[in-house]
Amino acid sequence: MENVPFVLTKLPSKSIMFYCIFSHMKTEQYKIIEKYLIKEFVNRLFPISKVVAPVYKGFGNYVFEEIKSEENVTFKYIPTILPPKKYLLPKKETILEFKKNQELIIQPVVEYENLILFGVHTCDIAGFKCLNKVMSDTPKDVSFLLRKEHIVIIGIECNDYCDQYASCAFVGAHLPTTGYDLMFTELNDIFIVHVHSSKGTNIVEKTGLFKPATDAHIKELRELREKKAKIFYNEIPTERRYIPDLFDRSWNASVWKELEEKCLSCGNCTAVCPTCYCFDIAEEVDLTLKSGKRFRIWFSCQLDPFAKVAGGIDFRKERSARQRHRFYRKFRYHVDRFGMIFCTGCGRCSRTCMAGINLKEVLISLIKESEAKIWRKWL
Amino acid sequence: MKSKPKVAFFDFACCEGCQLQVANMGELLLEVLEIVDIVEFREIMSEKWDGQFDIAFVEGSITDEHATERVKKIRERSKILVALGSCATIGGVNGMKNSFPLEEVRRYVYGEFHKFFPTVETKAVHQVVKVDYFIHGCPIYQPEFLTVLKCILQGIPYYVPEYPVCVECKLNENVCMYDRGLSCMGPVTKAGCNSWCINNGNICYGCRGLTVNPNTEGFKEVLRKHNIPEDFLIKKIEMYNKCKELDK
Repeated sequence: MENVPFVLTKLPSKSIMFYCIFSHMKTEQYKIIEKYLIKEFVNRLFPISKVVAPVYKGFGNYVFEEIKSEENVTFKYIPTILPPKKYLLPKKETILEFKKNQELIIQPVVEYENLILFGVHTCDIAGFKCLNKVMSDTPKDVSFLLRKEHIVIIGIECNDYCDQYASCAFVGAHLPTTGYDLMFTELNDIFIVHVHSSKGTNIVEKTGLFKPATDAHIKELRELREKKAKIFYNEIPTERRYIPDLFDRSWNASVWKELEEKCLSCGNCTAVCPTCYCFDIAEEVDLTLKSGKRFRIWFSCQLDPFAKVAGGIDFRKERSARQRHRFYRKFRYHVDRFGMIFCTGCGRCSRTCMAGINLKEVLISLIKESEAKIWRKWL
Repeated sequence: MKSKPKVAFFDFACCEGCQLQVANMGELLLEVLEIVDIVEFREIMSEKWDGQFDIAFVEGSITDEHATERVKKIRERSKILVALGSCATIGGVNGMKNSFPLEEVRRYVYGEFHKFFPTVETKAVHQVVKVDYFIHGCPIYQPEFLTVLKCILQGIPYYVPEYPVCVECKLNENVCMYDRGLSCMGPVTKAGCNSWCINNGNICYGCRGLTVNPNTEGFKEVLRKHNIPEDFLIKKIEMYNKCKELDK
């Protein structure tokens, strides 16, 4: 993002956010495109670079994958199996190559390519912002940051809930704020498009299908957002600002014990999370045994070997401790460190959990238990 | 140049399908032959070797006294012994024998001639001799075989992943079998196969054996939610894991 800071350095207060979204819409930053042209728009992306978009996989499942034709793209979808995070932080990323003949040659590797991510929901963009915050922290993750520079993010705004698992309004990820190059919002027979960076402008110019938006369009967009404010509600019966306190009271909550029995430790919840970034390092040599690669691969705090250290000691042996760790990583630790809640409300962890561990239910149960504690204190 | 390590393949009670996976490796097999010297491998060659083996791959489970003696001799002659495939690593399907009285099993299989076929409880190879490396799977997954071979040649251990198949399956973005209305052993089965079956549209049969520290009770709850009888799970687990009882 050349002209726009990719990350907010501080979470804006609600009133500022309201101001940004509703009062500060500059008509000249918006374009429109007729709905029937959207497929043509996707077609015109192909000459620019590799295009990745949501594709239907059957049984209510979607994935982000490379598309070669607009036919495969799904414009309406529920969050994909894996978040588009996999393009910023590949599942298996080469970070080093080595070769030994007479002498040992070691070469660091950064893998990146020009990529257009089309159709990203605001929850996943919120995930990008979280990752960006972490990777920009010292020591900077050069691979991630370089890769990000080569990716164009084209968002699609959700005008309604995807399903019952989402909690995007609770974390404020249901509205586009920042972190994208273009944002498509569906109005009656057009998409109104927020052009948010020079990369976005470039796409608008190269595809040549856009018209300038008029004040009437902006009015319509404003009305849509007002309508959305009625559709989306705070899914968790508390406010975001109370979350750190809630977690400070919940270390010994009974819900963790319940999770001990339920959780299968399959790591699905962390694999599908847009803000998880834990990794393992692995090395592979080829069959000559003289050269090879070092990889960074996704890893998960939910798995048995994750917290095992020398001597066979496992400092997070119980499944309850691992699940608790996951929740504290989303709602407590990162608030101190980065001033952000690391949940985007996409609902993937709840959707994918075979054991039916539901993020919203866990939070609600924490709130209930914690309320009881507070009352006891007063009585 | 140092001579290449001498490698041999042996089989016990098994279908020899894991050796077939090695024989079927295609062009990669030529690269393997660049770094090792295969001296005995009944499935692909007639030659035998009467010396020491640097690496012996043993397929199959140990099911009678004769096999016990034979595998002990192979162990004595081998610097490194590798259990190849689920029959060897966890007893595999042969372990189902242990669910029945041995006498009944013999009669069932050999009828009136059963007295000529003495038998013992099915055992995995490590329950008889020391095993240095384990390559799980029914059959083995070729890439894992190569990984283990490279580890052996580098003199480093190979760690079988201590987490379930779901981990790899999710990264491969397969549609969950439970979403398709099918049952799958992925949640309680050792990973390392890169969810090979599910990638190809099949369910996981749990051939690599139960994962370390599986939450079987939690899994039963999941099955109940999907209206799958508990008995079904027990049978599925016993299909490959029966010999595990002998580990205790």
